[in-house]
Order: sequence, then structure tokens, then C-alpha cells
Amino acid sequence: MARECTEKSISLGQTEEEGAEHDSDSTSSSFSGSEYSDDLEPEWLDHIQKNGELFYLELSEGEEEAALAQATANQGGATNHVRFSEKEAEIFTEQNKKHRCGSQTKGAPTLKKLASILRRKQRPSQHRAGGGKDGSKDASTPASILKNQPGQSQGVRVRQLKEVCVYLNPKRLGGSSTPLSDGGGLLEALLGVVHRPTWSRGQGDPAAVRQKERLTVHGLIPNSPAIKCGQILIGDVLVAVADVDVTSENIERVLSCIPGPTQVRLTLESVAQVDDSSAQARKVKAAPPVSQLVRLLWGEDTVELQMSIGHIPHIVLYLSLKLDSASPQDEEEILYQYPLSEASSQLKGVRGIFLTLCDMLENVTGGRILSSSLLLGKHLVHVGYWKESSNLLVIGLPADIVPLLYLQTVVGDVVRTLKVMYGSLDSAFCTADHAPRLDHFFCLFFQQLIQPSRLRDVSSSPTPKVSGTLFLDGLPAVRWLTLPPEIKMEVNSVLSDFESSDFGEMSEDFLGLRRLYVILGSCLFYKPYLIANHLPKEDLLDVCLYCQHYCLLPLASEQRVGQLVIWREVFPQQRAQSNASALHCSQPQRRHFLLIVGLRHFMQCVLLEAGGCAAPALGSQGPDCVYVDQVKATLLQLEMLEAGIEERLNAPPAPCLSCADWFLPATTARDRLDSLASSSPVFSKLAGAVKGSSSTGSRGRSLFGEKARRSSPQRSLSDSGSEGQMDAGSGSGSSVAPGLSPHSTPESGRKLGGRRDSLGSGGSDGSGGSGGLFKIPRMKHPNPFYLGTLKKTLTEKETEEMYNTMKLTSGAENTLFHYVLMETVQGIFIAPTHREVAQLSGSIHPQLIRNFHHCCLSIRAAFQQSLPARGRRAADRPQPGGWGLGPVKEHGVLFQCKPENWTDQKKPAPTMTYWVIGRMLLEPVPQEFYVCFHDSVAEVPVEMAFRLSFGLAL
Amino acid sequence: MMMLQHGSTQLLCLTASSGVPLFTRGASKQLPFSVIGSLNGVHMFGGGQGVVLSCCETEGGGKVVWRVFQDSVMLIAVGGGGQCDVGGGKEEEVRLQRLLENVWSCMVLVLGQDELTNVRNVERLKRDLRSCFSLIDQLLEENQEGILGNLTHCADSLLPPNPTLLQEAVDGFAQAADSEFSCLTVHGRIAAATEKWWRLAPQEVVLLSALIRSLSASGSASCDYPVFLPQGSPTVAHRLLRFQLLPGADVCVLCGPTPSLHRAESGVVGSFWTPLVETLRDCLAVGERCLPGSVPLRPDVLALLLINRETRRSVSCVRTLANHPPGDPSLPSKSRCWKLLKLFYIFSTTRYFTQEETLCVSPEERAQRGNTEDFVLGLSHQPLQCYLVTEECKSYGLQTPQHQLFLLVPLSVPTFALRTVAIQTLSDIVAATGF
Repeated sequence: MARECTEKSISLGQTEEEGAEHDSDSTSSSFSGSEYSDDLEPEWLDHIQKNGELFYLELSEGEEEAALAQATANQGGATNHVRFSEKEAEIFTEQNKKHRCGSQTKGAPTLKKLASILRRKQRPSQHRAGGGKDGSKDASTPASILKNQPGQSQGVRVRQLKEVCVYLNPKRLGGSSTPLSDGGGLLEALLGVVHRPTWSRGQGDPAAVRQKERLTVHGLIPNSPAIKCGQILIGDVLVAVADVDVTSENIERVLSCIPGPTQVRLTLESVAQVDDSSAQARKVKAAPPVSQLVRLLWGEDTVELQMSIGHIPHIVLYLSLKLDSASPQDEEEILYQYPLSEASSQLKGVRGIFLTLCDMLENVTGGRILSSSLLLGKHLVHVGYWKESSNLLVIGLPADIVPLLYLQTVVGDVVRTLKVMYGSLDSAFCTADHAPRLDHFFCLFFQQLIQPSRLRDVSSSPTPKVSGTLFLDGLPAVRWLTLPPEIKMEVNSVLSDFESSDFGEMSEDFLGLRRLYVILGSCLFYKPYLIANHLPKEDLLDVCLYCQHYCLLPLASEQRVGQLVIWREVFPQQRAQSNASALHCSQPQRRHFLLIVGLRHFMQCVLLEAGGCAAPALGSQGPDCVYVDQVKATLLQLEMLEAGIEERLNAPPAPCLSCADWFLPATTARDRLDSLASSSPVFSKLAGAVKGSSSTGSRGRSLFGEKARRSSPQRSLSDSGSEGQMDAGSGSGSSVAPGLSPHSTPESGRKLGGRRDSLGSGGSDGSGGSGGLFKIPRMKHPNPFYLGTLKKTLTEKETEEMYNTMKLTSGAENTLFHYVLMETVQGIFIAPTHREVAQLSGSIHPQLIRNFHHCCLSIRAAFQQSLPARGRRAADRPQPGGWGLGPVKEHGVLFQCKPENWTDQKKPAPTMTYWVIGRMLLEPVPQEFYVCFHDSVAEVPVEMAFRLSFGLAL
Repeated sequence: MMMLQHGSTQLLCLTASSGVPLFTRGASKQLPFSVIGSLNGVHMFGGGQGVVLSCCETEGGGKVVWRVFQDSVMLIAVGGGGQCDVGGGKEEEVRLQRLLENVWSCMVLVLGQDELTNVRNVERLKRDLRSCFSLIDQLLEENQEGILGNLTHCADSLLPPNPTLLQEAVDGFAQAADSEFSCLTVHGRIAAATEKWWRLAPQEVVLLSALIRSLSASGSASCDYPVFLPQGSPTVAHRLLRFQLLPGADVCVLCGPTPSLHRAESGVVGSFWTPLVETLRDCLAVGERCLPGSVPLRPDVLALLLINRETRRSVSCVRTLANHPPGDPSLPSKSRCWKLLKLFYIFSTTRYFTQEETLCVSPEERAQRGNTEDFVLGLSHQPLQCYLVTEECKSYGLQTPQHQLFLLVPLSVPTFALRTVAIQTLSDIVAATGF
């Protein structure tokens, strides 16, 4: 059912048959089947720009997605598999025909069907093999095909009224590629509904032209609001617009009254099937509003959004340092500027400062200028600089948005993104026709920084705060989702299959042609998580910067991507350098292209190379349909894994996390997990926490406390464990009995032992036991580290429950709130998933996470400053920046928080203290590890780092 | 190619209205006049457009900080950066900001605010300003080990073994000299002072200590020096009488026209301080440890800085650890420890802990220094403690409502024990001395 809606929503081609059945007039419609019978044209084809770039984003319906997710969950993998494998087969045949022998008539029918499945467009499937479903008109979705829903079309039809909300933007009319068709007027141009009045069909009397006539939908214009909303079907009758009754006579007037971009409610009379009432009921619901982010990506509303932050001083300027003094024209040195608000004009006014400082300071201190701080009235503005050849990029941002500590990272990321997209800053800014695109680029940039919440759907997860996005986006890494091994293997093999470019009959080899592109590698995102990567690290970062900048990752998690196709030439930084060094090579210049295809929650980014082994690219190449379709096929193939991935996302967090609110007595037992509340030593510890090592009698403390560590730093776990009832080391094979298997493989033990830092104390020996930490969380083996099970107070059931969870911290209670682990070499990081965080709702916890991210900015800045120059600006830096404190390995901050709005005058507000600790490891693999945990247990963060990284087996 | 050497700092002083250079100090080679002019020019240009330029950073840690005082004097500090004994980024900026504040206060202390704000004759002002140079150079060089007051704006103190005796002597001495302001300095740190002395603005106490140190370094037995108090009386001069009691121990009194230096020296000093010579010797013996021997310090504390946030006093010391030979390469040298302690103080206070003055400075001053706070203000919870593990040592900072403690400990101490060490050190010192 769910699928059906989409099929309809994107459908164009119903016209032929459905039209014929419902409204015999439709045969003459310009949007009838004849025009679209060549179904091979992908819908994004019209959107390719002159330079070959493509940014095509089509939304599917949120509710449809939800329903689909539900359906997949219910159905399980089996049905999906069948469905998709069938599809897959079809895809190949289809594309063979399509691209290599497009003129062949014989293959066309199959082609058509497959194309329709690929694009999730409803096509009349006249030539289906079974032949039995020829008559089904509006139900030819993959799901329904397989389910064999007969007789649907024979269902009793009744007329129903439905209300549909569409987003209309009159401003888009001018820029729209759709020309104002002569007959259609605003109805076509604005709404995208094709209505052919009777007179034009030659049946009516020309005199009756202006007669009132019901507005039957005869066709829908591609990419129009009507088709995007997905609920206006051909054959429907438009009854009212915003509760104003409309007919052919007044529709143009009514529509012309819409002043600006707005959501309009349409009332339609539709033909419905009785047995389909549930679907109808769902359709009647108003479509969720299109999120601001999507509108921004579509290039709408930029002016409006920019206006709303006009009072906040921010600017980007690209200035020329070479001034031709002979022709002193006004503002001649400004090569590019954005935005044009009042606050930014003040900054523009002082560009002389930027130019002078840049020019002068290099001579004074011997280094290029990096930043300066200005005070505009009450606003403190930090200005970041980037000098390239004889031009200077200046970015000004308010201090409360981007602390000076992090300004350079932000500027560096923008510069790198621009370089990836355009090759160099000069080619980005100095090409005249780039201006509108750069405006859009920087609009996105500032919107994301200054008002990230406006870009998100109200309905979506809690709005990420600036410092959170700042920190995570600033990491030279991509968020990674650990998957169960079998899924991971599957994903990787599917990706590898694709990357082998073995497109069968579709491939250039088959036709004896030189390959168009060499696939350098690809990476796969599910929602905002990277789940597979076959790209070298630097390329991955380049791709990821692009995706981050265009908000593609949050977009994919917002569940509303129907189809996303992006194609553009890119200049991967690593390759650009090697390219430059091999200039004199006789080989034709290599060029690189980035292809991003998104379907629902999956998004695959493919890096292609032209030139070199493949055919040289000439001019501005647009996307090649074969490659796009191959990626789509891959994604469809991967969709069968969605259930598995979702299961991983829904799994209880491993390592398990605590919510900060549980540790505040103010919110006692009600919010708290009962099993934990009864036996919590934390409350008693809160009072005495400051006393440090004076053990307050907690079991975990006494086992792992300072004293024990000191006296025997090499103490093994079994020693300490044997103090309890259960000897963790003795349980060998009996994994069934809870509490007896340490699940410690010799290998893992050795590995951890080898990794142990000099700092590591006895506790880290024990981490060898938690080898299975990151394996499937359901596995019932005890974590020997989990000494909480020694508690006699626990009932057996509770104990069992606790075994199901993994825990990073030592001691009786799980005290871990949040973590981020970055693998520098692979360019990935892991952190609790959004869902895991969302589960730990509370008033303090989101605050805590925000604080954690903010603090991490500082910790990471300390790491960065103390490192010898490397990374993004390495080549430019003459010498390492001075950092008096020397290389920082570890840095921690202890915070105290109180509940907000503490009203009780008599008692002081309860407090909770927690650590935020960051650690940088260079050996054996460079890692950065940030963790946030409750103060009650003296943790050795390095151990946690090891335990966590152990789970990150790649 | 580079005009300023790495690691050196140059201070430029100009008149704010006309941009006439008044003096430049620091760095062996003076910046060319054109550069000085441009540095001043960009700030003035911004001022005309309603934009106040406050600081600037270059690669390699170079920094420029601008500040206009009382709309009359422009001070610009240029830090060369580049060397490892200079803090990077933010730390350097805070150091330079502090330097400018201190230099301005120092100019007021010596010349009075009137002469600086109503400049009638620039040439004469230039001449007069020369009298500040020794003090300014002292601020610029920052080579005095164990003196952190310029940075913390908390008076460097020494806790004498028998404080009550000295306190009584200082109180009595002040009374006899017709004053309420008197203090005893040992090794340039305040060992005892009258209550009124502590009530002076923290910055004044710090500057007076610096002045006493530079006067005492001249070697004279006594002197009479006119001073303006930058906050208390910027326009009316007082007299600072200083008497050397023993080498390294000086007593000072801040007074009006009477008594004369001679009368005070002959009549008052001897009667109060001669009986206390032995006590003073005990004080001198405390030396750079700043803490009496009775205070037990944990053996693994390399260096410490303890600030009392209420009285605005600080105690600091760097120790030679008994169980490590002095030449142990695994431990940072003594001067390096002082450097690290300073840097760690700035690091902690710019990022996590609040600096006290931010509470008492005027709003516009606050705005000028705002960029040092942009990070702290973004934190939603209150930081209490922080630590840093570097290649040389471990540093631990701790803040309570009353105290701030900064510790350096050797790498051999496990990280999880740092907190215990810090808490115990704090409670030991407070219990033993009531600091």
C-alpha cells in the first residue's frame, strides 16, 4: 500500500490508460503517453546544467517512508529479497537495451517496465511476462506485482473529497525551466496540473471557451508541486484552492492571488476504490511541510533565510591583493562578496584593514595572517583569512557562533570544499557565471552555522546545536556505523561488484569501446552514517566535505529523499597534487567526477576518473545514464539489507550509555531504570565524590581503586575478579550459563596487552576479557569487566538483564554518557547514533551533550595546536605554530551541573559532576578519543579508548 | 624578510588622536616607522567605520594586539611567536592583552592620568615617559622566576613561618608612619601587609610590588618615590617610602606629605624592625618555596600556583624533587616549570575557569577583552577541574569557590591519581596556613 502512494505520486504516465478509462478526453493531452512513451529518459535529464553538473533532488513522501519502514520490518527480509532480485535482473536487461540498442524495438517493452521500477514510476505494464496483470493500472508497483493483487482495478469506484497541501512558489516561475505553456497558464506553471478545457479538444463550441468547467486533472507536469506532493492523481477534479471554489473560469485569478512562497490547501474530488479506503484515509492527511533545508537545497527561499540573519554580522569576501592603481575604480578589488546585508556591509567597509594586515604582517612576524578579531558595536566578529596566490579569502563570523579556537578549522573546511568543487579558489571565484552558485554555497554555509535549527524539520530529532555540528563536522572524519559482520560483508561485496565496473552487456568492454570512466571507489551512507567505504582517506574526506556542505547526510536521515542524483566534476585534493606533479606526462589530463545517488535512506558516492585508463573527458560532460542506473541498481540491491541495518540502529546501544538525569537525585526513581535505581551506589557517592580516593565503600572502587592499582599494576583480571562470587577467568566453555564465560580469546588478549600504554594500569588487563564488546549486542555472554554483577543485592533476573548490555566503564554502575572515537588513518569516527541519544531523553542530558561537544572543541584544538604542522595546511606552513605547553596527549575537564529552575529554597540544588576527557593516541594507530562519563568511578580513559576501539574492527 | 625576531615582543605606544609615536620598547630591532604607522593606521581606519580592531594572529603564533586607553594613548603589542617558549594562539593573546593593561597602569602609576590624557606637549610627554621604561621593560621581559602577579593580577605572596609577629610589626609601623598602607616584601613577594594595603585594587598591589622590586634592585637602602594609583587616585600622587631591612627584605609605606623619608628611616624603621631580624631571616630562608617548612607538600608536586580568589593573593613555587636528581632529563628544568605553570594558568583560565577581573571591569573594557571569553561563555555547565598530559609533565587545575590551584606533577604519577594529589595539596596548605 505504501508503495502505491509513491508510485502514484511520481506518476506521469497513468494518463494513457487511466485517462482513457476515466476521461476519454485525455488522449489529446500533451502529456499523454506518446510523449512519455520513451520512458528511458530519466527525470533528472532536464536538470543537467550546461557545464554538465547535476543536482537533482526529489522528495518522496514522509508518511510513505514511514509506512514502508514498517512494512519492511513486518515482512522481514525474505519477500524483499525476492522482489529485489527480480528487479535486479530486470534492470540489467533493461539497461542493455536502453543504452546500447536504444532503437531496438524488440526489447523496448521489457525496458519500459524495468525503467519504471527503477524510477519508481508507475507505468502501464502491458508486456509483463505473466500477462495476468495487464489490466492493473494504478497498482503496478513492485510490491503489488509480486503480491498479485488482482481485481484492484475492478474495485468499486466512489467519488471522494480529499485535501492536499502543496507548496507553491510564484517566484519560481521566472527561473523555472518549464516555459509558461500557452494554454495552461498558472495552473500548469505554478501548480503543475494540466487541464485541457473541452474547447481545445475540439469537442466543444469555441464560444463556450470561458464557460465554467470542472477542473479535471488531465496531466501532471514533472517536478511541479502537484507531482511532488504525490496525492494529486490524474482524473481528480480540483474543487477548491484554499477553500475558494474554483472552476476553469476563476482558477487563474485565484492562483494569481498567491503572493509568495506558501503552502496552499487544495480540495480535490477523487476517484477512489472502496477497498482502498485505508490508503485513502492516509492520503487525506496533509503532507508534511517541505523542510526548510530541502527548500534551501532547491534554491528556494534563500533571500528570505538570509534576511532572517541579516542583523548578524557575517561575510565572505574574495579580495584581490593586486590593485591596479592606474584605474582606481570603486570596489574593484572585490572579486566576490556575500551576503549584501547591512551588518556585512560594515565589514565590507573595512576590507582595507584585511588587505593591509595581510600585506604587512607577513613581513613583520614572518607568517601569513590567520585571523583577526573585530568589535562591531556589541558583536565580536572573528575574521579568518586564506591567501591564495595574489588573492585573499576573508570569512567573518560572529564569535558566539564560532570560537576563535575553531575558526581556522571552519575556514579550512570551506576552502577545501571549494577546492574540491572548483579546483582552486581562483577558478571558483573568478569565473563570472559561478556567482549564483557561490551565493547558494555560502548561503548554505552561513545558514548551517548561524541557524542550523531552521533548516531542520520540526518533527525530526532534537535540533543539533552549533557546537555539536561544529565539532563533528570539523573532525577530519566521517561518522561510521558499526554493523554486524555478515551485513558488513554483504555491503562490501555489493559495492565491490559495482566497482568492478562489470556491467555485463552494458559495459563498454562488451561493445568494444574504451571505458568512459574508471571507478576509483565509492562509499555508502545509510542515513547519516557511513557504512562502507572503498575510497582512500583523503578522497573520502573530500567527498564527505561536499556532502556535509550540502547537508546531504541529514537529508538522507530525514526520510524523505525520493531520488537524489548529483553529478559534478571534482578535484580531489590528493589527486590534484599528484596530477600537478605529473603534468609533463604524455597522458591526457585526468579528470575526476563525483556521482552521488540517493534512494531513500541510502546514498552512494562514487568517484570516477576520466582520462588515464579511461577515455579522456572532453568539455563539460554530463552524467552518464549507465553509471547512474548502475548505482541505483546497487542501492536497490542493498535495500534488502535495510532491515538488518535498522535492527542494528534499534539495538540497545553498545557500549551502553547512561542518561545524565538519572544521576541527579531530583529526578529519582521514576525516570530511572528500576533495576539500576535500587542498587545505585552513585547517590551515596555523590556526597563524597570530592574526597577523591577515600573509598566510600563501593565495590567497583575497591576493586579498581587507586590502591589496588598501585600495589599491583600488572594484576590480572582473574585476580581481582576472584574476589567476587564469580570467577570470571574460570568459566571456559559454558557460554549458556550467564556469568561463567569471559569470552576472552587469546588473540584479543594479546592484542590489548600489546597496545597497553605506559599509563595503563592493572585495569586494562581486564579489558582483554571484553573482547566481544562490539559484536552483536544480543549475545549473552558476561562482560567480566562488569563487576556490578558481583552485587549480592541483585536478583537473578536483573543480573541476566545486565548481561545483555555492554559497558565501557568499570565499577558497579555504567557511568558512560557519551563518546566519540576517531580513527585518523581511516578518516572515520564512531559516536552513539542519533537514536541512541534520543532514547536518553531528559532535561540535563541534551545540555550535557552540547557541553561535551563544546568542550571537545577546546580539547581538539589543544591536540591540533600541539601537533607538528601537518594535515590541511601542512604545505603552506613554514614552521610549526608555537605551543608552549608541548605536545598534548590527554586533556580532561570536570564539569558540574545543576538542574535548571531549582525552586526549593531550603535545600541547595543537587549537583552532578562528570568528566569530559579527550585523548590522542599516536600508537599503534592514530586515534582521537573523546569521552564523557560520570565522576563516581575513577576511570582510566585510555582503557576505555582501547575497549571502544576494539569494537571498531574494520 | 622578517622584521621581528621569533619569540620577541615589541611594544608600541602612540597618541591615539594623532598617531604620533611616543615610544617603542622590547625587541632588539625596532620595527620600521612605516610598519608602526600602518599598524596604527588600520586601527584608526576601523575606528572611523565603527569597527574596533582588537587582535590579529598569524601563522607560527605571531600576534598583534591593539588597545586604546582613555581615548588618548594607543598601545600595540606585537608578538613574534615562533618559539616554543611562547604560548601559541590564545595563550599568547591573553599574555599580550595583560601586558598592555599593565603597561598602561604602569604609565599612570608613574606619570598620573592627567599628563597622559591631556597631552599639551608631545615632546615633553615623550621625555617624561622615559621614567617608566625600567618598569615597562621589567613587564616585557618577564624573566623573573616566581613572579606571576603580572599575569594573574593576584599579589605574589610568601607565607612566613610566624605570620602574626610580622603582621603586628607591619601594622604598628604603618601607624607610626601616619599611614594605613604598608607592606613587607621578601624576595619580591608580599610577606605581610596592612589590611588597607590588601584593599587596594589587585592590579595596583601587583604593580606596586613590581615597582618595589625594581626599586629594591637598584640597591639603595631607602627611597621616596611618588606614585599615582591607577584606580584609587589616578590624578593625586602619593609617596611610596621603601626601606631595605635586610638584603631581600624591604618594607614600604604609602603615605601623604609626611613623614619625611629621613624621619621615617631614623625614627620608625629601626624601632619596629630591629627586634624582628631573626624572624626576617627565617622568612628569607623560606625563599622561593613561599611556603613555610611546616606545610607538608606531597613529594610528587613539581610546581604549584595557589590563588585565593577572595583576597586576591597567590602563592607559587617550583620545587626540586628530592627523589630526582636536579639534572634528571625526564623532568623539565626549573625555568621551564615556571613557564609551563604560566602557560597552564592561561590555558585553564581562558578556556574553563573564570578570571576574577571579568567580574569587576567596566562593560566596555569587558567588550574589548571579550574575545578571550568566547569559549568559556559557550559552556553550559560549570567547569571545576581540568588536567593536561603533555610530553613533559602533567598539569592539574582545580577551582573551588575560594581557591584556584594549578599543579605540575611528573609524568610518573598516574593520571587518575592527579585529582587526589591536587585535592590533598590544597587541603594541606589551607589547613597549615589558613591561606
